[in-house]
Order: sequence, then C-alpha cells, then structure tokens
Amino acid sequence: MIASGDSHGKFVTKTYPRLMKGAMDAGLCADTCLAVLREEQNDDGGWGYHNESQSRVEPTCWALCALSAAQNRSDYALALSRAQRYLLASQQKEGFWTASPEMKTGNWVTSLACAVLSLHVETQRAALAGLAWLCQDYPLDSSPWRRFLRRLRPNPNTSLHDDSYRGWGWTPQTSSWVEPTAFALLAMQQFPAEHLPVAASRRRMLAVGLLYDRMCPGGGWNCGNPRVYGVDGEPLVLPTCWALLALRMSPEHENKSLSLAWLEAEISKIQSPASLAVATMCLQAYGKASPAGRLNLEDCEELLCKGVHVLAWISLALNAHRVWPARIGGTT
Amino acid sequence: MNIRNRQLIPSFQRPVSRVLIRRAASYQQELGELILESLREFKLPVQDKTVLLKPNLVGLDPLGVMNTHPAVIAATRESFLRLGAARVLVGDGPAMDRDTQAILESVRLREFTGNLMRDFCDLNLDDVEKVILETRASRLKELFLPKTVLGVDFLVSMPKLKTHHWAGVTLSLKNMFGIVPGSCYGWPKNVLHWAGIDRSILDINAAARPDFAIVDGILGMEGNGPIQGTPKAAGLVLFGDDPVAVDATACRVMGLLPEKVTYLARAGTMLGHLDPAKIQQLGESLDSVRTPFAVLPEFRRLVG
Repeated sequence: MIASGDSHGKFVTKTYPRLMKGAMDAGLCADTCLAVLREEQNDDGGWGYHNESQSRVEPTCWALCALSAAQNRSDYALALSRAQRYLLASQQKEGFWTASPEMKTGNWVTSLACAVLSLHVETQRAALAGLAWLCQDYPLDSSPWRRFLRRLRPNPNTSLHDDSYRGWGWTPQTSSWVEPTAFALLAMQQFPAEHLPVAASRRRMLAVGLLYDRMCPGGGWNCGNPRVYGVDGEPLVLPTCWALLALRMSPEHENKSLSLAWLEAEISKIQSPASLAVATMCLQAYGKASPAGRLNLEDCEELLCKGVHVLAWISLALNAHRVWPARIGGTT
Repeated sequence: MNIRNRQLIPSFQRPVSRVLIRRAASYQQELGELILESLREFKLPVQDKTVLLKPNLVGLDPLGVMNTHPAVIAATRESFLRLGAARVLVGDGPAMDRDTQAILESVRLREFTGNLMRDFCDLNLDDVEKVILETRASRLKELFLPKTVLGVDFLVSMPKLKTHHWAGVTLSLKNMFGIVPGSCYGWPKNVLHWAGIDRSILDINAAARPDFAIVDGILGMEGNGPIQGTPKAAGLVLFGDDPVAVDATACRVMGLLPEKVTYLARAGTMLGHLDPAKIQQLGESLDSVRTPFAVLPEFRRLVG
C-alpha cells in the first residue's frame, strides 16, 4: 500500500504489486514496473519524480523510454502517445526543454528529451530542433576569454583540467560536467551524422576528449573533478555508467577499459536500485555479465519513493529489448 | 516561525540569540536524552507542526566522517516527535551524487531511523516553486526551491562541523546549499558557484532561513573538507535558535575567526548575530571546548 499525495495534504491509498525477492522473473518484474509507470502517468501526459507530483521532463523521458521498450507495446500505446504530446508541448520555441515548467532557460534535460523523441519517427523533428540548440549551447568555463583569464591567474592547487575540451553543463553559461556531457553525446548518437547540425562533429570530438580528461586516475568518473587540491577524486557509479555508455561507440581506449574494470569490480558493492539498474544496463551494453537478478529486491511502493525514474531504469535494465540508452551487447 | 514568511530582519533588530554547547563523546552514547533536554531549553514552537530536518549528506560515507551522523538525525527526529511535532521529515539534496539512496544506504540511516519512506524527502527531486531572491547578494534573481522546504512549519539545519576548501567552513548556513534542487541545477549545483558561493549562501538563507540549527561536532572534519578532509573529533553538539550565531560559535570552537569568513561576516549584518555580545552562551563554555581545526593554506587568515 502506498499513501500518495503531497506531503502535507490529503492522502490517497493505492495498492501496488510487490516485487518478491527472487520470486519473479526479469520479464515479469519489468512488466510490473511498466504497469506501475502507466498508473502513475499524470493527466497532462507527463510524470513527476514521485506519484502525484508535478510533471517534469526528466521523469517523463525515462518513463517514455521504458514504455517504448515494452514488448507488449500496444498495451501502452495511449500512454506513449500522451507522453510524447507532453514532451512536444513542453519544448520551447528555441528548441530546448526546461527542468521544471516555470523555468525559462534550457538545460541538461534537453539531451534526454532529444534522445527519447528520436525513438519515434513522428517526433524526430522535435529531437533535431533540440540538438540544434544543444550544439549552440557552449559552457562558459572553457570560453576563449575564460581560458585567457585562467592563464593569467593559474592556481595549480585546485584542479588540473584541460580547458581546451568543451562538453556541456547542467545549466547554460556554467561549466562542463561529466553527466550532461554524456547525455548530450548519447542523444547525438541517435542520429546519423548527416542529420546533425554542422557543429555536432566538433562538439562530439571535444566532448569525448573532455570525458577522458575528467576521468578519475584509477578509472571511473565522478561529477567531473578527478583531482582537487592534490587529492584524487573518488569515482561514482552513475557518472561512470553514463560516461561509459556515451563512449561506447568511440574507438577503444585504455581509459575506457580501466573504467569498465572499475565498474565490474564495484557492482557487487552497489546497494541502491538506481545505481544497480544503470550499472546493469552499462555492463550489458559492453557485453559483460551483469547481476540483473539482484534487481528483484524491493516492492513498488518503496521504489516509487525513490522516484519514477528509478522504476523506469529498473524496467529498462530488465528488458532485453530496450533500444536506449543502450542495446544489450554493444550495438546501436 | 513559518519560513514562508521571508521578511528580512536586519541583525540589529533581532533579539539576543541563544547557543547551547553540549559534550557528546561518541555516537554510541545515548544521544536521545541529550538532544531532547537541549531542545527543551529553547521551548521551540513545534507542537502539532511539521518539522523538516536538513542534515548534511554529501556523499558515500561508510565510515561516518563526512555526513551528519544518522545517530544524531534519528535522535533529533525522535526528540521533535516527543516535543509534540505532528510530523518530522528528513530531507536533503546531495550536491555531488544524485543517487541519494546510495548515500543513505552507505550511512545506514534506516538502521537508526527505521524506514522513513515518505518521511524522507530527496530535495533534489521535490516539486519546486519559484522564489524571488530579495537580498540580491549574488547575481541570481530567483531560485526554484523545493515545496517541502517552503511548506514546512519549522526548518532545522543539521550540518557536520567541517572546514571547507572553498568557503572556509561549512556549517548550518552552507548546509542550506542542499535545498537547491539538483533536478533543476545539476550535480553539483554549479550555478551557485558561478554566482559566488559566499553570496549564494546569503541569498539561499535569506530565502529559507533555518529556524534552528544543530551541529554534529562529535566527529568533524578539518583541512580539505567537505569530503576529502581529515576526521577530527571535537566531541560536541551545538544547538541554537540563530544559524548565524551557531555558525559563529562553531567557528570559535574550531579556533577560527567567524568575522574573517566572508559569508559569515555578511550574514552577521542581515541574518543573525556574529557578535559574542549578542549571543547568550549556554552549556559548556567556549574556552573549555575549543578544538583547533586545521585549514588549507588559502584559509590561514581565518585562524584566530
């Protein structure tokens, strides 16, 4: 049972199926997640991060992505169509999406929206408009002026980034970070090069360079600080997975292998369903063994408290037919 | 006391603040009674109210050196319930790692508090509301802040006693960075760095000033905090009804000059009291608990 509603208002009680530990096969578990996602869709076609919360672009993208991968897609046709309409309606005329309905500036969720809208022919035009905006969105930290200023005031104690690389920031006019850079690369990989804006090729090259530059010394990534004040940064699961997925189509590189080895060693220690689901997808994309069975460990009530996106990630991780963010086995 | 009333009161118009210092040698000792008794000293208006505890959860921390310890969180939550609060939520929006659940598992919060379910709020993912920043200390004109933070009756900032490699110290005011939602601003909340950390701290605390602060100083962190520093035991818990006064006192405990901490110096004019003459000191005397914390070379000027 779950009490839904805002944390201070009236509560409505819903009943969700329990995912029994070890008692449900992967397909059934994924289907259960999808059924709950469909139940949680808001009237406007979007999803909030939690049940009864306002629709936002990110959870809508992940839910749409999970539903798009459903084998029995006809069961979800209406939900898919409503979700697409939500995303199309929330795209701004400049091509970007905002993280929350009232916000006015585009940000990192634009990459996610582009990626999931690329999955359906009828929404690919909107995705390409988003990618055009992304290709014009340069982080401020690596602008020529900033780089010039940094050379005048070097501070070798803080960090050792190569600022000739440029990725993407979480918000415009800030710095490049690993995850938004990875999401932008993943979105661009959904289209053939000839369909992408002219700037895309160079942006991709610089972004791949940035990811390798920001890798932690022992492999893996954190948000993008591999070394601060002389101390090596500790990698984290989610940034490592997104970076590895974004680099999957890039040529072999020793740092990619190093990071993959870090993730393989780390996965047995992962205790949260979100990280476990994304790590599973990542390792499967590289054709590595993954502990998908460990995902049968919690009920939907508890997972919903952690977020609609977590439920979607679990569904995707357990779905052998998913297309994005990565097919199983490493092909696009 | 409702933080939705964001009217700014200049510090000179504020009554004398109260800060209580209590000794607590370890997290294994009985913290419940210590915290309950301490809170009773302040006669807090929490009867039938919704309280939000905002601990400092910055990263995976199996050794319990960088985050507010779950034993302190659990004992505080229990104490507020015993004081008559209708509901006591726990919420934070970690800045560097979006997998908040992984952080909670690493600190074993559930073992101390039980399964909080909907009484834990990941502030990174909460519904948001636009707040116009009246102070304009930074160049930010507005921030989208979690509705839970804006809607509760009583907000408690619960930092760990730490030095910070960019701000000098991270205490109850800096801890409020965690209310800025990552879903809007990212991990890290880089827009605040671009707007100036010191100035952003002022804007955020003016927009959502904590009603109370509890500093976990049982085991703190010195040097390259807030994540990569060195654990430093101070054996203290600080309580206070003015986050500025609490932070100023915590600085003095650490052997640092709060007047030299850029954001605290300004906060002392607009958000609370920095001047010891305006802070009523309760519990242990400052001299008896002073525990010098090491700082990075960039912050030697803070050492008193």
